[in-house]
Amino acid sequence: MKQFLDMVLIGISAASIYSLMAISMVLVWRSTRVVNFAQAGMALLSAYIGYELVARVGNFWIALPLAMILGAAFSAFIEFVLMRTLQKHSAQGAIAAIAPIIATLGLLGLIRAGIGFIWGHADVQIEAPLSKVGFTFGDTTIVMSPMGLFVLLFVIELMIIVSIVFQDTNIGLALRASAYAPEIAQLAGIRVSGIRTLGWAIAGAAGAAAGILQTVNGTGALSPESLEFSLLLVFGFIAAVVGGLESLPGAVLGALILGLVLAAVQIYISGALVFIVAFLLLLLVLILRPQGFLGSKAGRRA
Amino acid sequence: MIRINRRKLITTSAVLAIAALTVATVPAQALNPQMADPGITASTIKLGITSPLTGIASPGYNKIPGAMKAYFDYVNTNGGVNGRKITLVSKDDQYIPTTAVAKANELILRDKVFALVGTLGTASTKALTASTQLSKRGVPSLFVNTGWSGFADKKAYPTTFSILPSYQMEAKIMAKYVKETYAGKKIAIIYQDDDFGRDALAGFKTAGLTFDTYIPYASGSQALPATGAGWISKLKTAGAEVTVLFGVTSASTAALANAYGAGFKTQWVLGSVGGDATTIAATNKAYVPLLFGAKGFSFAPAPTDTTDEYIKLFQSIYAAAQPTQTFDNNVVAGMSNAFLVVQALKAAGANLTRAGLIKVIETKGSTFASPFLTPLGYSATAHIGATGYWVGTYGPTGALTPDGGKYTVYTTDSGTGPVVLSTYTRPAMPAKGL
Amino acid sequence: MLKKHPIITFIFFGFILFLISNRLDELRVYQGATVAVYAIGIASLILLIGYSGQVSLGHGAFLAIGGFAAALARIHYEAPVWLTFVVAVLAAAIAGALLGLAAARLSGPYLAGTTLALAIGLPSIANQFSIFGGEQGISFDIGLPPASLGEDFTQYKWFFWISWTVALITLYWLRNILNSRYGRGWRAVRSNDVAAELAGIHVGRNKVLAFTISAGLAGLAGALLAMTISLASPGVFPLALSFSLATGAVLSGVTTLGGIMIGSVTLVAIPEIALAIANRYGSETITTNLPGLLVSALLILTVLFVPNGPVEQMHAKRAKRGHSSHSPVEISVRVGSKTWSTKK
Repeated sequence: MKQFLDMVLIGISAASIYSLMAISMVLVWRSTRVVNFAQAGMALLSAYIGYELVARVGNFWIALPLAMILGAAFSAFIEFVLMRTLQKHSAQGAIAAIAPIIATLGLLGLIRAGIGFIWGHADVQIEAPLSKVGFTFGDTTIVMSPMGLFVLLFVIELMIIVSIVFQDTNIGLALRASAYAPEIAQLAGIRVSGIRTLGWAIAGAAGAAAGILQTVNGTGALSPESLEFSLLLVFGFIAAVVGGLESLPGAVLGALILGLVLAAVQIYISGALVFIVAFLLLLLVLILRPQGFLGSKAGRRA
Repeated sequence: MIRINRRKLITTSAVLAIAALTVATVPAQALNPQMADPGITASTIKLGITSPLTGIASPGYNKIPGAMKAYFDYVNTNGGVNGRKITLVSKDDQYIPTTAVAKANELILRDKVFALVGTLGTASTKALTASTQLSKRGVPSLFVNTGWSGFADKKAYPTTFSILPSYQMEAKIMAKYVKETYAGKKIAIIYQDDDFGRDALAGFKTAGLTFDTYIPYASGSQALPATGAGWISKLKTAGAEVTVLFGVTSASTAALANAYGAGFKTQWVLGSVGGDATTIAATNKAYVPLLFGAKGFSFAPAPTDTTDEYIKLFQSIYAAAQPTQTFDNNVVAGMSNAFLVVQALKAAGANLTRAGLIKVIETKGSTFASPFLTPLGYSATAHIGATGYWVGTYGPTGALTPDGGKYTVYTTDSGTGPVVLSTYTRPAMPAKGL
Repeated sequence: MLKKHPIITFIFFGFILFLISNRLDELRVYQGATVAVYAIGIASLILLIGYSGQVSLGHGAFLAIGGFAAALARIHYEAPVWLTFVVAVLAAAIAGALLGLAAARLSGPYLAGTTLALAIGLPSIANQFSIFGGEQGISFDIGLPPASLGEDFTQYKWFFWISWTVALITLYWLRNILNSRYGRGWRAVRSNDVAAELAGIHVGRNKVLAFTISAGLAGLAGALLAMTISLASPGVFPLALSFSLATGAVLSGVTTLGGIMIGSVTLVAIPEIALAIANRYGSETITTNLPGLLVSALLILTVLFVPNGPVEQMHAKRAKRGHSSHSPVEISVRVGSKTWSTKK
């Protein structure tokens, strides 16, 4: 029972970070039909910016939203400069299908090299603003700390805001329309290019939050080669795909499933199996239910 | 039909490739056995090191080349070794074996170093030793920084010399200590599930220590913070009073941080690889106090022990060379390594050759002056360096100090030999530490 | 003569390489062997991306399978060197076929993400079983060059000869495959799978076949890589290797094998160029970060401005001048009695 509770809490904590990443991948996918393989690189850059802001401003609570705004701006900039040029030049031929993937891969390399030039290769730290010691009830301490709880609440709140924006303002519809049928969307009076940039911007903000919160909730250390960020990308991607890649609630559900499965593997079997189980989960979902748990049927082969 | 003239393209690329490959072509070098070995002149010796300066394994270890350089510079300003000044060419291999081979090739074939020193990482060292054919070329690889016992095997690695005690030695000494100190308690182990951890398990088994709980983790994974919570949950359920951790530093960081987060108390016993406070501090300074009270193992004098003549000398050299860096056990490791290199070069005499250097370590190596508190095991049949450990306790600043105020050193072998109290007394430091 | 018998081009190229290997110093010979390894790895990706329209960001995983398979065959069965390569190809091809079955159902980004997850997950499998040697890996020793080649014949020259012989044979074979019925089928599937299906091409089977062959070639590259560095370990096949190969494929141009040397030479040359620049300006920061910066910048610029690769671009320009063609490549596929073309 004690172990089960641990499993659930560990799973939920991990899921809250994965879902932020999954949300940003879904947003980018919905707006431009691109899976951004530099998403984790951008999150890493945002985390470094967060580190710099914490160092200069001295207050995590101011630095976090600022870094999210800068992350959004950077992401919008990338869409504006890289993705639009890409569409102009590489829209045809064998490369068309993979050009965005390769371009985001190149972007990832640029970001890493840039971070290496600016901040060097030694680890830098962002201190957690809240305690990371678990809450204590009587003589038992649970594996949910004030920091972990904050991350969880933050993600839920962000989800609610994004859902409201998407449902009450038709931005979500515009996003999808711009991606699926740009010409028709244009005719319907949607500023397609603007909407796409907006999709990237929101994704950038969510990614920045994922990067910073993963760092403070983890060891607090950042380095350009940090494998944790590669894992963030892969786990975020898996969560997004499990949820259907189209759907925001799906992304959260996917993250929850992934987080809980991995926590169960760690606690009941062995931590050494985490990656392979994650991979098998991805394959299983892709083979058995390719549209994900909350995705529409036609998604996968678009 | 596909209308592309493929032949032309292939010819074009062939020409391009040839052009690229012939850039900087140097005529094939004739082998001349009469010539002196590469890397030495009447007034210089060129040495090379490849180690992780960047990448996942770099924190902590990236101080080693700098520390070695600082000591060599100190020797150079005091006249060098037999009139020769030492230069150290340092390359970054990012802990990737492929890169390590490429860098070792640059060192041997382009920079033409006399010997390799202080290479780091078992996989990288294995790869570069085999691929560059160190033994066939006769290039000495002095004092590799890994505890894999294989490098001490003279038959397989005739020009390679270990410096660290092997993982089996460490496990056997740990086992003796744990059995004697924590008899009757519930004991768990977290270990890296590969040769490194399994070497240790073999050592524990030889020494007759079995654990109540075994927690393996996958090696090569830096995502340990993500899995650390699971270990602690298992330890808690098992009620582990004593936990041995035989893994890398990122594993100990994950274990300590998660235990702290879960409010879980246990007596930590950390292996020397994972108990490096500086590396833990490089991840996050806030974790260093978590080391407080844990047991640790070392074979060199503690970096904080200013009563030790070697530490005093190394501190003053390092403070002058790298004033902004903290003096820690990685610096001691680098300087001790460089110190032993200098002892070997000195012993090899003015008529320095690669073969002569190897020979002199085999014949006189066990009598070299060294900062280590354990005997050196170099002989004509085995290339074993330090052969034991002392036990200490971590203080609140992460400094490991010997229990009972003095170094109690245990020594053993990598096989089934017993663990015995060492009777070795370290010879006095040579004048000015040269 | 040359046009009729492309094999002569390959033999000629091989002869040139043989001459080069005798002229170069040992470091360049070693780097030359690495170029051959990259060439095979990149060829496997060009086949996959350019010809069958599937993308893999984790091809390093198949190199790893090949490398480990070859090393295990050598250690446990003392297989002769050529046989270890065959084992490597088969092992990786089987793995590729399995993944290919799943991959055929996936479009670009899904497949890219799945292969990426594989490349990250595979090392932890290697660490699960002690026969793979964990982080330390297992040695792959093919032994010394034959004594008949002489005393001065170095190990690296031996690696160079083996790698290039294998590479040239592979590229020749691949070139023929790509010009065969299969190659045309792949191109048709890539350009328009609906049209291809209508033309009677079995799309799924074609994609699985391409993935299988590609993985097999990657396995071969992995065995050669393990040979040149004498070791198969998880660290030999990091994620960075997968990314490098994808980069090399794009720099070479994914639509033709013709540019393959551009990508493979670039991958080996970039760190050297960065080192030269760093030496001039004497900064360690430059040495560490410049290679990544150069490669990534080149990659982005290529995708943006020369998306189909320099060779294809040259061709398209010439075609434009000569025949004012619309499409950069004109492909017409005739399957049975039907003709399908990109020509408008």
